[in-house]
Amino acid sequence: MIHLTLSNISKEYGSTTVVQDFNLEVEKGEFVSFLGPSGCGKTTTLRMVAGFEIPTTGMITIDGQDITKNAPNQRNVGMIFQAYALFPNMTVAQNIGFGLQIRRESKSVIKQRVEEMLALIRLEQHADKYPFQLSGGQQQRVALARALANQPQVLLLDEPLSALDAKIRVQLRAEIRAIQRKTGITAIFVTHDQEEALSISDRVVVMYEGKMEQVGTPFEIYNFPQTAFVANFVGTLNTAAAEVTDPSKGLISIDGIQIESAEDLKDKQNGDKVNIAIRPERFSFASDGKKANVMDCRIENITFLGSVVRIRVSIGDTKFNMDTFNNPFLELPKIGDTSQVTCSREAVLVLKN
Amino acid sequence: MKRSGVIWSWFWMILGILYFFLPLVATFIFSLKAKLGVLSILAYQQLFNDNDFIKGFSFSVLWGILTIIVGILIFVTTAYWVRLRLPQARTAVEFVTLLPFVVPAIVFVFGLVRTFSHPPFLIVDSPALLVAGYTVLSMPYMYRAIDTGLRSIDVRTLTEAAQSLGAGWGTILFRVILPNIRVAILSGAFLSFAIVMGEYILAQYLAKPAFAPFLAFLIQQKAYEPAAATVVSFALTWACMGIINLFGRGRGQAPIAGGH
Repeated sequence: MIHLTLSNISKEYGSTTVVQDFNLEVEKGEFVSFLGPSGCGKTTTLRMVAGFEIPTTGMITIDGQDITKNAPNQRNVGMIFQAYALFPNMTVAQNIGFGLQIRRESKSVIKQRVEEMLALIRLEQHADKYPFQLSGGQQQRVALARALANQPQVLLLDEPLSALDAKIRVQLRAEIRAIQRKTGITAIFVTHDQEEALSISDRVVVMYEGKMEQVGTPFEIYNFPQTAFVANFVGTLNTAAAEVTDPSKGLISIDGIQIESAEDLKDKQNGDKVNIAIRPERFSFASDGKKANVMDCRIENITFLGSVVRIRVSIGDTKFNMDTFNNPFLELPKIGDTSQVTCSREAVLVLKN
Repeated sequence: MKRSGVIWSWFWMILGILYFFLPLVATFIFSLKAKLGVLSILAYQQLFNDNDFIKGFSFSVLWGILTIIVGILIFVTTAYWVRLRLPQARTAVEFVTLLPFVVPAIVFVFGLVRTFSHPPFLIVDSPALLVAGYTVLSMPYMYRAIDTGLRSIDVRTLTEAAQSLGAGWGTILFRVILPNIRVAILSGAFLSFAIVMGEYILAQYLAKPAFAPFLAFLIQQKAYEPAAATVVSFALTWACMGIINLFGRGRGQAPIAGGH
């Protein structure tokens, strides 16, 4: 069931267009992430849903009700901020109960709901503490409880993990997701961290320069990027300029080296220039016994990354990264060696632009 | 720190203490010498028995409090709005708040008298004009104290957080913003109060029975009572500072949550 709809949303500040023709339908209980670099318009879009910005054009609806021009305090939309934004003069319990007090709920209702929320975030013993007495992760959990206490229709999370250290960030994102699943609330999560977006979301909206580049499940976004931007932004990717040599057979040439792609090239002509992308982990040494797309290469560099070893190879004049899982018995070539690498037809992605 | 550095630090501190406290101690001792040959509180008794002192003092306290209330209402809302919605206007607003330093008080008073002494603005006799004048004179201190307080919290995020929880402007201002800048407001209020208590020109030329004109009159008439009155006003000032300290030690002051 469609819960939140953004139709033809755009936002302009003077002559600058920050968000352009943004269309999205979010189902009830869905967790959608807006992913993109700084300045891509993801936070502005979120703020338009929250009511802190009014779209220049377009319409936002929740459950079919137009909320485009409603004030933020008339929307029943919960928001979590990067800077936690807990009220420093209030205790944890008072922070959580603030929205319910605004709604003039009875004291017993507020008390009960605050206790429920404290149990949900497992901070029952911190109810009477002030925000400055809590760690960053705890503060953000309180912010989550405060936003959920009001039972909002949509929960908006504006880079809520950015101010936390790496370990807490991973822990808290799992916790946020678990709480979101438990409460069944529709959530929009803004992040510039691709790993965060891919790990937490039902769907990811990749944004660039105010436009939606691609919308899809994390699996689709990672494995089948449709544009050069998505391909480069999400995960590590090799991109190269290539030329179509036989569209009917999916043949492409990189620096004169012929490779085969499984993608449909029927709309291409011989000699058309295209950009191709291959994930580093899709390469392997040809000695593994694979026959398709075998290419001569020279080892340029080898970097140890812990669980992965990244090998930089040059194929013709183009350089590619190849990732292989680390194991103690791995026999690595030496820098300057020549070898052969291969990848499957399906690994060769032809980008739309 | 080097030994010579420590010695110099102590030297300057002791010099500072002597500079500030010797005149006060001398005034205090002098105020106790109203009775020949013995130390007594006679000057204080006479001062507190003087109806004009009580009248002038209570008048200034009352108008000081009113000035603080008006100042808080005007400057908190202005500084808050400038920080939240009109950051580009900050320089202009700061310039305006400094005008009382640039325009001499006497010029300001004559401006008030000329403007408000004939219709349609015949309010020269109204206490409201005095409060307005005091508010303007205390503006540089009050505005800056509040603005500094607002700078220490993340005004925009706290406002938006409160809005997303359903709060209107009144609730945001009185339950979220004001409690978090109360020390700054108290500092501004104290400075405003001190200005009202010591302000002479405005009260004198608007012919109001305030404390400063009374003190000036007393100095011309008597010897020991003005010293006693000075000590009383100092005691009041320190009491104000004590109150600020007391409130300043309050809860939730660490600028972590919602802070920059």
